[in-house]
Amino acid sequence: MDPQFLAELERIVGPDGIVRDDAELATYESDGLAKMRSRPGAAVLPGSAEEVQQVVGLCHAAGVPFVARGSGTGLSGGALPRPDGVLIVMTRLKRILDIDIPNRRITVEPGVLNLEVSQAVAGDGCYYAPDPSSQVICSIGGNLAENSGGAHCLKYGFTVHHVLGVEAVLPDGELVRLGGPALDNPGYDLLGVLVGSEGTLAVVTKVTLRLLRKPAAVKTLLAAFDSTEAAGNAVSGIIGAGIIPAAVEMMDRLTIEAAEAAVHPNFPQAEAILIVELDGAEADVTALFSLVQQVCTDSGAREIQVAQTDAQRARFWMGRKAAFAAMGRVSPSYYVQDGVIPRTKLPEVLARIRSLEEESGLRIGNVFHAGDGNLHPLVCYDDRIPGQPDLAQRVASDILTFCLDAGGSITGEHGVGADKADQMPKMFSATDLEAMQRVRCAFDPRNLCNPGKVFPTPRLCGEVPGPYRAHPAEQAGLAARV
Amino acid sequence: MDRLAAPTEQLIAAGSAQADVGELRAPTAEDTVDGVQPRLVAEPSTVDRLVATLGWAADLGLTVRVRGGGTKQQWGAVAQPFDLLLSTARLNAVVEHRHGDLTATIEAGATLAAVSAALADHAQRLPLDPPWPARATIGGIVATNDSGPARHHHGAPRDLIIGCSIVLADGRAAKSGGIVVKNVAGYDLARLMTGSFGTLAVIASATFKLAPVASSSRTVSIAMDSLEDAAPLIARLADAPLTPSALELEWSPARLHVRFESVEAAVVQQAAEVGRLAAGSGRATTSEGEAESRLWADYAGRRVGPGTHVKLATRPTELVPTLVRLRDACRRGAVEMAAAGRAALGVVEVRLDGSAAAQARVIEQLRESLPPGEGSAVVRQAEPELRRLVDPWGSIGDALPIMQRIKAQLDPDSRLNPGGGPGGI
Ligand SMILES: Cc1cc2nc3c(=O)[nH]c(=O)nc-3n(C[C@H](O)[C@H](O)[C@H](O)COP(=O)(O)OP(=O)(O)OC[C@H]3O[C@@H](n4cnc5c(N)ncnc54)[C@H](O)[C@@H]3O)c2cc1C
Repeated sequence: MDPQFLAELERIVGPDGIVRDDAELATYESDGLAKMRSRPGAAVLPGSAEEVQQVVGLCHAAGVPFVARGSGTGLSGGALPRPDGVLIVMTRLKRILDIDIPNRRITVEPGVLNLEVSQAVAGDGCYYAPDPSSQVICSIGGNLAENSGGAHCLKYGFTVHHVLGVEAVLPDGELVRLGGPALDNPGYDLLGVLVGSEGTLAVVTKVTLRLLRKPAAVKTLLAAFDSTEAAGNAVSGIIGAGIIPAAVEMMDRLTIEAAEAAVHPNFPQAEAILIVELDGAEADVTALFSLVQQVCTDSGAREIQVAQTDAQRARFWMGRKAAFAAMGRVSPSYYVQDGVIPRTKLPEVLARIRSLEEESGLRIGNVFHAGDGNLHPLVCYDDRIPGQPDLAQRVASDILTFCLDAGGSITGEHGVGADKADQMPKMFSATDLEAMQRVRCAFDPRNLCNPGKVFPTPRLCGEVPGPYRAHPAEQAGLAARV
Repeated sequence: MDRLAAPTEQLIAAGSAQADVGELRAPTAEDTVDGVQPRLVAEPSTVDRLVATLGWAADLGLTVRVRGGGTKQQWGAVAQPFDLLLSTARLNAVVEHRHGDLTATIEAGATLAAVSAALADHAQRLPLDPPWPARATIGGIVATNDSGPARHHHGAPRDLIIGCSIVLADGRAAKSGGIVVKNVAGYDLARLMTGSFGTLAVIASATFKLAPVASSSRTVSIAMDSLEDAAPLIARLADAPLTPSALELEWSPARLHVRFESVEAAVVQQAAEVGRLAAGSGRATTSEGEAESRLWADYAGRRVGPGTHVKLATRPTELVPTLVRLRDACRRGAVEMAAAGRAALGVVEVRLDGSAAAQARVIEQLRESLPPGEGSAVVRQAEPELRRLVDPWGSIGDALPIMQRIKAQLDPDSRLNPGGGPGGI
């Protein structure tokens, strides 16, 4: 990178806020998607929103692309750096700025970790609802960019339902505030667009979140089934009975085995297990919990364990949340897929995945947010065996096709990033993508803010769309224009 | 901007000659908005026709306003002259109710009441209860992000929408999101459409997540002596481990309505708990069955009473103090006032009555009393005279320029509801 540009960067963030040594830059080569790597031209670790603003302003003036990075746990290459660009690492912006318990709001800097938010307000009987499995390490800024979900989002919604306001630096260096501690600020719902935009519209420097009161009662059960179909039917049965549990999670044999090997949750041996959690007012939970047990039994559950203590509940969740990482115990390499289907299509799509497993010879573990229809097939392969990485890639891509065939989506929570940009045209038409990119052009006409992510091909924002069909007014004999 | 000067009949004849454009007609007095009459009206009966009509309008450079049930035509700035009134009334199908998935795709012109009736077959509902259910349409409710008491638990349209089909200003169909409840592929244009007042694209249909209809319900109404008495009670209720489906504050007289919808044992237990919490603050009565339905129907009627409607939003704990200040200002300024809304969310609908000048003063004072960036008072329904005296939106803040850039990208010729959006976009 241009030495003068680097000197300017250093002037903004100070000598200890810039990384340019090639070996040190290697730390930032990839996010949680290790197969995509690229070393940034430089990395900066700003210590304040003002520094972020100046860095972005400088990049804008120099026409240098920039990529924001939180904790780097993303699984779609969203924070993949650019060799010709600056990586803006947000980890030093980690202050909790304001806690307002009576109004159930908290304002934090984006580098604050997800779990730290809940910890900061636990003493006041509150918590932050979205709980990605990575919550001990992922940042609020990354959560916001990905619209992250978690096991408890079935009932409480995703990040977008819990972000009330942000302060953000637009790609031209301008600082704006969207939303705030009060609801319904007049104007377009830019928060709704920014959340989930994968760092391509702005760099967020401050976030106001909604807190929830801890529920009065929580009950959790674990049900073991002889087939994933039976477990899937139980999920449909629960929802069909008009019950929205706090969480409904499913694991299949392979992921149960892996979790057992890694963290010993002492799960029963089964083809599938469901973890169902209800929370809310005492009477609600008690009444609905017995209904859920009934549905599970009717769907063929051969064993139901009810968590009797917090420790037992924690053990269920430890087993579930460790599932991704645990796959390392049963396979040298694996690819975490993230697709969504309507939940009634669960049995059908799982059957297709099983045939694919047989055809390809690769083992596929399934762990998912069953209540939401959000699948996480884990495609196991050995990267020392020639051809297997490519085969795994093809298998993972086929699974997305199954999701789309079922009316679903190519991603439920991990994002499109660099990984799935080329899959977008399978889900969206050229016009759909153009409409989205027009929004991008409003924010980032020079395509400097995390370029190359989300969209398969960038749109040149100067382009004025030509006449989309030959249909001039003259044809209609209505030429009288004033 | 190019604007055709052809007379209405000629436009209708020319449009009708185009495949799929339609169905066009001359405007009547009913089609007038703020005294402005469109040059022609289109009531397309299929989405294909909607697409073709907008394409034709784009070719001719016609300005377009969309009308669903016509319940909110007077919201926002006073209407500017426009060419084409596009009615979605005939696009009113519940396209698909996937009851197993708790989702439904609904065309823009379907009324909320019709949707509720269709979804009730499977004991489900779209948990939105904005005013005028018999007339308000899905498209209009989304375009204004309007809601009602159910927002306390279920959220506003922006929280429930999971996808939409739109027609862009240039007449091309596009979509965002999908039919699944969880989905982060691409930008969320459905949320961008929510609250965009028809200025960015025309909503053809929308897909929502639904809620099961609960088997039991109870409402505890608490009558209090003064508005001031409501604040400590709201705080106690918000802090209690209760899960109400609605928590409405009404004035005057000062009342709170706390609703529970769940299984019988749970609603009984929670209603009793509210009774205990309310002791000392006011007189609590619990209703169920028909009496409860009547209570909510009457309440809905009061919410849409005559006069100016202002939506006030504050930090929840600032709501009652702000209403008290407003009440006192109204008394001084010879303006009648009533309020009803979401006590725990800090969002209420305020109704004002009085001379336009007096109302304008009160609204300006109210806005000045709100800390910058921490609340808003948006004039929704009002006589044109008042909407000329005060900016209906108030300050949009420092994000207005980026909103204007989005408008310029999606509707470069500003033909969709020109001037009718937030901040006069
Ligand atoms: C073991 C494991 C389990 C996981 N489980 C879940 C899960 O249950 N649910 C789920 O949703 N995800 C899950 N993830 C994925 C990941 O943790 C989330 O996507 C998370 O939100 C990423 O946060 P991060 O701080 O690591 O962001 P990063 O990976 O650093 O960045 C992610 C994206 O956010 C952008 N970004 C970061 N900070 C900012 C900012 N301040 N302003 C603008 N853009 C910014 C980046 O540019 C990038 O596009 C899991 C990942 C792992 C490794």
